[in-house]
Amino acid sequence: MIRLVESEVRKLWTVWSTYVLFGIVVVIDLLFGFGLSFARGGRHGGTAGLVPHGSALWFANVFAVLDNARLLALVLGVLIITGEYRHKTVTPTFLAEPRRGRVVTAKLGVGFGGGLALGVVTMVTGLVLGFVLVALKVHSCLTGFSRGGVQQGMSQALCRAQHGVYFVATTHTMWHQWTLIAPGVILGTGLFAIYGLGLGALLKNQVVAIVVGLGFTLVVETIVTAIWPTIGEYLPGQAATALEDAHRTGFNGGTVQLLPWWGGAVMLVVYGVVLAFLGTSTTLRSDIT
Amino acid sequence: MPTIQARGLTKRFGGGVLAVDHLDFDALPGGVTGFLGPNGAGKTTTLRMLLGLVTPTSGSVLIDGSDYRHLPRPTMRVGAVLEASGFHPARTARNHLKLIATVAGIPFTRVDECLELVGLADAGGRRVGGFSMGMRQRLELARALLGRPDILVLDEPANGLDPQGIAWLRDFLKWYASEDVGQGGDGRIVIVSSHLLSEAQLTVDDVIVLAGGRLAAQGKLEDLLAGTKRSVRVKTPDADRLVEALHGAHIPAVLRDGVVVSEGATAEAVGRIMVENRIEVHEMVASTESLEALFFELTGGEGMHPGHGAGLMGDYRQAP
Repeated sequence: MIRLVESEVRKLWTVWSTYVLFGIVVVIDLLFGFGLSFARGGRHGGTAGLVPHGSALWFANVFAVLDNARLLALVLGVLIITGEYRHKTVTPTFLAEPRRGRVVTAKLGVGFGGGLALGVVTMVTGLVLGFVLVALKVHSCLTGFSRGGVQQGMSQALCRAQHGVYFVATTHTMWHQWTLIAPGVILGTGLFAIYGLGLGALLKNQVVAIVVGLGFTLVVETIVTAIWPTIGEYLPGQAATALEDAHRTGFNGGTVQLLPWWGGAVMLVVYGVVLAFLGTSTTLRSDIT
Repeated sequence: MPTIQARGLTKRFGGGVLAVDHLDFDALPGGVTGFLGPNGAGKTTTLRMLLGLVTPTSGSVLIDGSDYRHLPRPTMRVGAVLEASGFHPARTARNHLKLIATVAGIPFTRVDECLELVGLADAGGRRVGGFSMGMRQRLELARALLGRPDILVLDEPANGLDPQGIAWLRDFLKWYASEDVGQGGDGRIVIVSSHLLSEAQLTVDDVIVLAGGRLAAQGKLEDLLAGTKRSVRVKTPDADRLVEALHGAHIPAVLRDGVVVSEGATAEAVGRIMVENRIEVHEMVASTESLEALFFELTGGEGMHPGHGAGLMGDYRQAP
């Protein structure tokens, strides 16, 4: 089993598509996160650019973009299994390990690991972004263009006098928001890879699985959640969001109904394992011709 | 001694197509076994059942009495080169082999050894996406050889190979099958499916002929060919004298387009007559009937598609 897992890990790092997925995560985080820090609109309270810059709510809004990594994790999970069919590498794979259930189990493990890695990458990128925003914030305070600084009742003189203290305080606020969201995003991203893998095992066709996975998460879930929130909270995307908001229910503004964090985790595991089990017992048992 | 045994092997696909029908055969080590049959005879399906990729509807095909799926380290026992096997185009040849070596617990030094063995030593770092069909076929062979298996299964291995490649493969397979024979070993089992019968005739020692999913014939190639017609053709300025001499020795002979054709005679017999009568010879060809002709006889002319090569194949059947 260790050899199988090692081989699956090797499969991931010997193709460029894996690196592309990680690259996309970083680009999305930086582009959208930075953009969001000034934009008017965000999930938590809906006014990222309007809330006081440097405040806890501001950082929470910016960091909310980091969970988009889960969409890439879904694609990663789909690729791990459907790539074998698309490129017909499934033949040598099953020749080397004819017990297909073990192959899928190894892939689930590696998919989860790969998803967690995507989660870590997105959170590290978020941390870098956070420090950049803190530095910009302190800079704008010092140069006297700070709307947020004024709103927080901090005069320019005070800011200049205490800019060291102010820097530490803003960093602390940012760091606190980061620690609140990080475990949920990392775990949710890992579990989303399992969900994608299960979807891929069941559908087998790469394009169909990606379209169905992303389409369901981005479109169907959004609609269902908007109309029937009591159903929506059990769907994969909302379940992953529940993980992140474990300690941050206050930021929801009461607009989104979510499961408790452990409920979200259970739902995601159920989706992934049930789909993978169905896939293994139907599609993967079929003849390779 | 490695063994492969098929008993009552049957595969009916979802659409109701009976691809393989109560097939019994044994493959023996020490020589190359040809797996022959027209398109749709069930060759590929049978090989894929042997390799655990396709599940038989009934019956079994066992390796040393065990199902492929229950072999503890299959890569070390059986190597397979299959047609529909694939590569990730972005992965290098060496990395492709390392994946399998990792699963099988084979050291990576063997990866380079196998690349060298098939003539891809310089291409190991290149992406498979840029490989020609012949190079992919060689890479498949390298993968099959990773575990030094004592059973090698190849489905249409000559596809995509150039003439030199085919000749190389022929010699390689013969050598691989019998490497340790005579040194206390029994040799290895090498099964090759092919539709190139003239090529197969040069390569194989044993044949298993399938037709319509059933066994049409099994045995040593020479035994199967022994019962078929043979003839000797001689070009000589003394044609009339030779025909007379052969008739005198009760050997049938006719003059056809200035060539003496002796049906059913051996080259030894005709040669002796020529020396005894001091007949000058310019060209002498002894031919047994081809594997093609035997094949069509066994498979009932299956695979003769009207409008495409029917005339050509008909020519084979009326071999002079």
